[in-house]
Amino acid sequence: MEIMDIVMYAVYILIFPGALFTCLFGLWLAGVDRKVVARMQHRKGPPVTQPAWDFLKLCGKECIVPANAARGVFMAAPYIGLASLIVTVLFIPLGGFHAFTTNGDTVVILYLLAIPTLAMILGGSASGSPYAGVGASRTMVSVMAYELPLILVILAVGKGATPDGYYFTFSLEQITSVQELFGPNLFDWRLIPAAVAMLLVIPCEVGQHPFDVGEAETEICEGPLVEYSGKPLAVFKLSHCIKMFVMTAFFCAMFLGGITTGMLWLDVVLTLVFCTVVTLVCMSLLHAISARFRVEQLFKFFWTVVSGFALVSLLLVWFC
Amino acid sequence: MTYDVYMHFPVIAIMTLFVGAFCVTLAGKREKLRNVIACISVLVPLTLLSLLIKPVMMDGQIIVYWMGNWEPVEGYAIGIAIEVDPLSLFFGLLVAIAVTASCIYSFQYIKQDDARGSYFTLYLMLSGGVMGIVLSGDLFNIYVMLEVMTFAAVGLTAFRTWNPNAREAAFKYLVVGSVGSTCSLLGTALVYAQCHTLNLAQISAILPGNLNPTMVLAFALLFTGFGCKSFMFPFHPIAADAHGAAPSSVSVLISGVFTKTGVYGIIRVCYFLFRSMGMTSVQTMLVFIGCISMFVCVTMALNQHDFKRLLAFHSISQIGYILTSLGLCTALGVAGGLYHAINHTLFKGLLFLTAGSVLYATGTTYLENLGGLARKMPKTTILFLIGAFSISGIPPFNGFYSKWLIYQATYEKAAETGNIAFALVTVICVVTSVLTLASFIKVGHSVFFGQLAPGCEKAKDPPAGMQLGMGILAALCVFTGLFPNVMMKYIITPAVNVVYNTSLYIDSAMGQGYAAEHLGDAVMPLMNGQLPLIGSWSPISWLVLFVVVLAAVFLVSLTGRGNRVTTCEPDSKHAVFFGGEAAEYSHISGGDLFWGFKHTMRRYLGFMSRVHTGVTNDYVLWAVTATAVILTYCFVFML
Repeated sequence: MEIMDIVMYAVYILIFPGALFTCLFGLWLAGVDRKVVARMQHRKGPPVTQPAWDFLKLCGKECIVPANAARGVFMAAPYIGLASLIVTVLFIPLGGFHAFTTNGDTVVILYLLAIPTLAMILGGSASGSPYAGVGASRTMVSVMAYELPLILVILAVGKGATPDGYYFTFSLEQITSVQELFGPNLFDWRLIPAAVAMLLVIPCEVGQHPFDVGEAETEICEGPLVEYSGKPLAVFKLSHCIKMFVMTAFFCAMFLGGITTGMLWLDVVLTLVFCTVVTLVCMSLLHAISARFRVEQLFKFFWTVVSGFALVSLLLVWFC
Repeated sequence: MTYDVYMHFPVIAIMTLFVGAFCVTLAGKREKLRNVIACISVLVPLTLLSLLIKPVMMDGQIIVYWMGNWEPVEGYAIGIAIEVDPLSLFFGLLVAIAVTASCIYSFQYIKQDDARGSYFTLYLMLSGGVMGIVLSGDLFNIYVMLEVMTFAAVGLTAFRTWNPNAREAAFKYLVVGSVGSTCSLLGTALVYAQCHTLNLAQISAILPGNLNPTMVLAFALLFTGFGCKSFMFPFHPIAADAHGAAPSSVSVLISGVFTKTGVYGIIRVCYFLFRSMGMTSVQTMLVFIGCISMFVCVTMALNQHDFKRLLAFHSISQIGYILTSLGLCTALGVAGGLYHAINHTLFKGLLFLTAGSVLYATGTTYLENLGGLARKMPKTTILFLIGAFSISGIPPFNGFYSKWLIYQATYEKAAETGNIAFALVTVICVVTSVLTLASFIKVGHSVFFGQLAPGCEKAKDPPAGMQLGMGILAALCVFTGLFPNVMMKYIITPAVNVVYNTSLYIDSAMGQGYAAEHLGDAVMPLMNGQLPLIGSWSPISWLVLFVVVLAAVFLVSLTGRGNRVTTCEPDSKHAVFFGGEAAEYSHISGGDLFWGFKHTMRRYLGFMSRVHTGVTNDYVLWAVTATAVILTYCFVFML
């Protein structure tokens, strides 16, 4: 490997689209989300930079470890979650821009996305608080809830956007290239129910209102995060923001890929705009207009309605 | 080394275990001597089989050893043969690894028990029986070894005789297991009547051309017999009892190794002896049974309150994955199934050993009575987490790679045949994987995290010997997860090759050209041997990226103010409050978790717990019904 390659990879990993950019864009998305929700509710809302300031402020606070906590897991969980999220970003193509030649695989991403959630569950569980225990349990139920529709969506897209000479594909790169030929999957009528299902999965995976049963502040004091303070809490909050970006980018790669203008930077910017729009549609809008689900309602909703949408898509793709 | 030397290795591997079983009794009460003998008896087979990797796996030689030099006479193999092809060696290695790790663990683990002498005798008999099954080339020998293995396992299940559950479990095991044994004996007898030989290779050559009703009966009986040994649905309840009641070091063998002999038997019967795997009916049967086992057992596991019973149900759930994957009859499917078989042995062994350590330290495995052990047993916690991540398929641990292969294989099969039912199989696999994760979160939360349970104050990490046993398996879990390419190249692919190309196996035992002469057109492989991977996953590059990012995040986090970390004291200021009252002890135990899920599924879960009555008669009824259903199915759809 040339020295230039190493520098380039370092830039990819640490600056764009890796750590630095991901964090900043995630914080910005969260800011936009909060602002828009506030405007929809006829409030003025905080400035867009508010999540970033919150993050910095939290970083300066004291970190308290409860006496009941399993210290190692408690302290390590937020950092492992954050790092694995940032790595997941590197596997998702951004408007034709691939950071690494190893292309992303949708099933692998499905599993990689479980690591940050798992880190949060284990971190909460390790804190020893019963509130965190309830939160961890609820978070896990929401994982069980959205995983079924998500795999159905992945299978539908994998079958629907198949390149010539393959039976199906799990490769995001191939899904993107097929979209370049036939237009984005969002405009393929067979895949529209899958896209709707995916739009509902995103807020649940991110843990946004109305699917935030795990962190329900008004019921169980933020669940897994109840005992966290200082830097670990800041990192969890940051992970939450980045998840918005990861999930919307994943959506864009699967359903809005292949829109090329000929200029790479413009494609990337376009994808980022799409990410923002998707955030507004599936997170801000839902947040503003609905109340929180109960745990068993959430589970039922995802295993019946949302999975139903995804299943319809799978059947359409299979037989039409 | 030449063929002349290493052709003796397999037979020595089996012999050492059996000879060792008798020698440990000679040691009498001399503990050290007995441990040394046991240790040697398990290490010798491991070494010998590892030495065979080069010739058998890489050079593709198939070892045929005729006992007493009774070679085939006039085209009939009347002597007993030991035939080691890559498939046998694959399973042999699994057995040797699990047996070694568990044996090292046992030395300390059974220190508190009486009858330690007979423990090792039975242990080595069980190991020898399993080793005999996977290396033997003779159908009747396999049956004999099956019986040796079953009876040793029954004895070991009841090893803690003061425990009434153990005696009950052993009895159930004995009764239901004998249904399976009877089936395999009948099947063997029928095959012998038809083919006039018991040699696997020769049967594989003669039988596929003559699939008459009698042979369909034999197939169904052998399938049920081996299925019973792998505890597939509906034979699973006895596994839960047996794994739960046996000492942990034995559960490792019963779950990791004993069930694998069933899987091995099913592969031999379906792919080799009858070559019936090409039939859609047989594929459907295996995939169906696999899916049911997978889903039913994982939901049963979510309902359990005992650490080891929970693990036992997961064990069958994972066997479901293996059977499903093998039932696809594609190269990718067989590869996924075999990879999952090795992974299952490693992570399930590890998990059973950690459960054993918890039992050793606290005296209970009841989830509701445990809690907060992470602070008392940090090493065990880490080992448990490795096992839990592996079984739940969290990248980059080993369970992920094999599950990922299985998803691809099932969806590929669906797309190739245009049958959407296989796509639902993929969905069931993923859902099962999530539920597996959930139930290990439950174990992790209620045993290792949370508040320290009363009565666990004195718990501490187990002695070094037990840690070594667990460490070996944990290291292998990580290795097989991080280097799937090495595993695929040297271990899995050779085994897959021989599965789809049975004529290699036949020819090396019966002489060149024997397969072509008898099988005729059927000598063509059942499936093509390509292993096309649709997606991409390279654990090493993921790990490198992860470490770099983690380092960066960590370094950034060190900068700036606010690095004070205070551990608060358990005083009134930091206590947990409920409505103004400080809670005395408020651990959320395993039974309280996942309310939303349990509530939504309450009818299904309630039905499942009612059906699993725990009465031996019911389970025997299930076993007999299953046999009848499989027989009917085979007669209707295979002829």
